[in-house]
Amino acid sequence: MLRNIFLKSLRDRIWSLLAWSAGIAALVIFIASFYPVVARNLIVVTFLEDLPPGLMAFLGGVLDFASPAGFINVEVFTITLPLVLLIFAISFGAAVIAGEEQRGALDLLLANPVSRTRVLLESFGALVAALALLCLVLWDGLAIGIKLFNIDLPLGNITAGVFSLFLLTVAMGALTLALGAATGNPRLAVGVTTVVAIASYLLNSAAHTVKNMEPFRNLSVFYYYSGAEPLRNGLNWGHAGVLVGLTALFILVGLVSFNRRDIRV
Amino acid sequence: MSQPIIMTRDLTKFYGRTRGIEGLFLEVQAGEVFGFLGPNGAGKTTTIRILMDLIRPSRGRANILGMDSHRYSLEIRQQVGYLPDELALDEHLTGDEFLRYFGHLRNGIDWTYVYGLAERFECDLGRRIGRLSRGNKQKIGIIQAFMHKPELLILDEPTNGLDPLMQLEFYRLVEEAQIDGRTVFLSSHNLPEVERICNRVGIIRDGQLVEVARVADLKRRSLRSLEFRFARPVPEEVFSNLPGVVDVRRDTSILRVKVIGPVDPVIKAAARYPVVDVITLEPNLEEIFLTFYGEGKSNAA
Repeated sequence: MLRNIFLKSLRDRIWSLLAWSAGIAALVIFIASFYPVVARNLIVVTFLEDLPPGLMAFLGGVLDFASPAGFINVEVFTITLPLVLLIFAISFGAAVIAGEEQRGALDLLLANPVSRTRVLLESFGALVAALALLCLVLWDGLAIGIKLFNIDLPLGNITAGVFSLFLLTVAMGALTLALGAATGNPRLAVGVTTVVAIASYLLNSAAHTVKNMEPFRNLSVFYYYSGAEPLRNGLNWGHAGVLVGLTALFILVGLVSFNRRDIRV
Repeated sequence: MSQPIIMTRDLTKFYGRTRGIEGLFLEVQAGEVFGFLGPNGAGKTTTIRILMDLIRPSRGRANILGMDSHRYSLEIRQQVGYLPDELALDEHLTGDEFLRYFGHLRNGIDWTYVYGLAERFECDLGRRIGRLSRGNKQKIGIIQAFMHKPELLILDEPTNGLDPLMQLEFYRLVEEAQIDGRTVFLSSHNLPEVERICNRVGIIRDGQLVEVARVADLKRRSLRSLEFRFARPVPEEVFSNLPGVVDVRRDTSILRVKVIGPVDPVIKAAARYPVVDVITLEPNLEEIFLTFYGEGKSNAA
């Protein structure tokens, strides 16, 4: 596990990865267990549908809470899991380069014959691998959950939803990593990415309900995650492409600035 | 003479408007042990981090092993061992795991040699680094710098935190490296240490190289501080006119004298009065600077 920077970065977080995996699996199965109750209790459903538009927007503007896709969408994919995985992605992204630099460990690593490009790409690779693992766990948890509690949702749709979430979190993790690589400041990287994520979420949600916000929706990264409702309609390749493109852009900018700047003491 | 192992030309680094170093011309020849001496904050670490391509000069350039320090940084780092000033190791790894990791990032590590080094430094590689004392962490830092038997060693304050016995072991290691024909560039703020292991010394102060000298020449001019405690006050004029005396200060019956060269005339002069106590002080670097190079040089930083 210490053969290269990629494996080392994963090994450094092995316990954390196990804990997050266990937490995510438990969380989605727990959420799925509520479905039979909710499906029978139309009062909850009507209550949700009668919410004021503002609150509705905040919840992602989903109307059919009682349908299998609607339920999983609201309970898993709207706030809970994006929040959980974004916290993981952002802290991982900030820790690998800027965090190492802040504790002074980058000087020693970069005394080895490894280029900064390689350090960044291997760190990014570790981020992608860690998120892939957690998303796989999420997929498994959901697959178990819908089986246990008879939620009528095709696995293909779950795959599309999880994959979209994977792309979203990779993009935001890449943004954090790139900001950290460009500045050497992990707090700045976390701060900026968090603001971008929250603003994106609110913009996308508001655009659901407020008509004249609609044109600004495509400024939101969340729009490319959930705007085409992958859980219901399958993966939207165009939107997925935007997230991948953003990721590539972030990494590229990170590489250029990381290679140019001074490493902090 | 063959081409220098380290050569800097007008090397300059500003941090914003603060000067790190300015106009450094430095040459270190193959097989030398070169001491880079200066008080903390003088620019030693700045220079070393430019050589390692961790930071980039504002002006000028550095060549290492005949290659540009930035453009050929990877090729250079193949052949360089580096010990940073402030060592940050992976606390959750054991010493062995940490060295193995670094070994994977390089090629062709002779592990018998590495474990031999650990034994010499009485370094327990099986323990988690986080549980090691500062001195023991420093030993791991030294081992990782030497473990691939590099052509050039760049060591920033290498004896930091080492106990005296281990310092001696380190000096031996430097000697062996020199016998093998390797070059050592080390920084220090400790004059006796540099005098002991280096052939030549570059003295840096406020970001500027004020002197490059052979250690032997430096010793000849060495400065000594003597403090006499007399039974009663003694006129200071008796001392201030003696050969080699550069400074005399009197505090009632205590007299402090700074001498360059032989101390004999001062001792003889003092012997004419009732001496209660005498202390000779190892001159600190700042004193040497004040004596040789004056105070007025720093105004940029």
